[in-house]
Amino acid sequence: MTASGLPYRAGPLVWAANIGATCVVLFLFQKILWLVVPFILALIIYYVLMPLKLQLLLRGVSHDRAAAWVSLLAFGVFLAGAVFAFPALFGEAIAWQDSAMRYLGGGIRLLAGAMSDLEQRFGFIAQSSAREMLEAQLGGFFEHFAEKYLPGLVMGIVAWSPSLMLAPFLAFFMLRDGWRFRRFLLRAVPNAYFERSLYVMDEVDRTARQYFVGLLQLTLLDTVCLAAGLWAIGISGALTLGLVTAVLAWVPYIGSIIGCLLVVLVAATDFPGQPGVAYAAIALFLFVRLLDDFVFMPLTVGKSLKMHPLLTVLMIFVGGAVAGVPGLMLVLPVLGVLMVIGETLGLLLTDPRLRARHAHEQALRQQLVTRDLPLPPC
Amino acid sequence: MKWLGRKNELAVDEHQLASTELFRDLGARELRIVDAFVQERSFLAGEVIFDEGEEGQALYVVATGKVAICLPGRFETPLAELSPGSFFGELGLLDNSPRSAQARALEPVTLIVLSRSDFERLMDSHARIASRIALQLARHIGRRLRQMVAASPIGKSLS
Repeated sequence: MTASGLPYRAGPLVWAANIGATCVVLFLFQKILWLVVPFILALIIYYVLMPLKLQLLLRGVSHDRAAAWVSLLAFGVFLAGAVFAFPALFGEAIAWQDSAMRYLGGGIRLLAGAMSDLEQRFGFIAQSSAREMLEAQLGGFFEHFAEKYLPGLVMGIVAWSPSLMLAPFLAFFMLRDGWRFRRFLLRAVPNAYFERSLYVMDEVDRTARQYFVGLLQLTLLDTVCLAAGLWAIGISGALTLGLVTAVLAWVPYIGSIIGCLLVVLVAATDFPGQPGVAYAAIALFLFVRLLDDFVFMPLTVGKSLKMHPLLTVLMIFVGGAVAGVPGLMLVLPVLGVLMVIGETLGLLLTDPRLRARHAHEQALRQQLVTRDLPLPPC
Repeated sequence: MKWLGRKNELAVDEHQLASTELFRDLGARELRIVDAFVQERSFLAGEVIFDEGEEGQALYVVATGKVAICLPGRFETPLAELSPGSFFGELGLLDNSPRSAQARALEPVTLIVLSRSDFERLMDSHARIASRIALQLARHIGRRLRQMVAASPIGKSLS
């Protein structure tokens, strides 16, 4: 609401500033990714655990104790999961490489089969010897995959581990001191802008919470749908495959393509010589993606970002161009938060009444601290 | 200069909350719960706390000092003067309407602030606190209605 009593609407300048600020923030984030990734993981943990902390607060437990109890509970759950799951996972680690090579082989066989079908139907493909070239290139890639890419992959995991260990610590301090930080920031705000700042903080919190909680809900829905579909087709490890594919979908477009490839590889290996199963898996994947885009997304993540669909798609491309894969993943939440801040700043800067009230407050303070300064008449 | 730091303000305590009109029916445990959600704000004499027509984002309880509720340009004198323990700004939170009057500090005041989101969170998730606060709000609005009726020509003719 403005001084004139009419609701405020952001103009083109504010929109341009929002988009520009989003690009700058994404560019900077890309430079400090080692901090941004654990921070975002911490935010997800924080928003998942916050309702529990709130329940304890509403039962009369202090902020510090509630944060400590909730963190202890989360750590206990993680520890229990680790104790039961990690030994089994590490026990099977040696078999992973064999499985990966088996699934890749299945994928190559499916591709070769599809290519020879095409060669039989279209003469010009057979003449171009595309199949031989593709097989040779893929064969070379997978033959040298371990020596070329595996050391880099292992080094990457080792380099990222300390940074990822930060996430639970950050989450704990967010839970314990988040409210103090909010008060600290609000104390710095002049009285004239206080209520608007309250609104901005609540909106930023709401937008981020709805986005991250929505993302988790979306992942759960995708996992359930994909797992049910893959199980119905008869593909092995349907639940794991559904979960991995749903998590990969956090990266717009690229993640979905990699997820689809994974599903096809598993289908082609589980049912060699039956390309129909792989095609059914692709059809299922496309169906779930459509369901995701038109039903699940508006119900979960879409609620947090009141954005035009065209702008959403354009910004995903801009995010990818500015900051690569992290840009693709972060562009929407960053834009959502910056939109709230930008619109509020636009309102503050264009509201003469609020500026006048701030000037009045400063004049009163000046008057208060200088009232005994003039020399009394002799 | 607030970004560089300021004098440490007195934190709100449960005793301060217990002495206010809005929270006086709450028990010690409930006061501790409310205490986790409120914050403090100080205003100089003559400073505007909020304007008529603004979107209300908070409810204020007077901890120290005096606050005037006025309609500048329409009434010369304040509609009400609120002393420590009184509260104001609740209407904007109850019906999402713009502020119906201006609030101004008559002397240096310290206010206890309950933001809209925390107010709604408390009302939604804590039935006991919600019912007690709602009862105080109803009493407050009822009292104000009786005062208005008494001040109107109909009220005067009846009395």
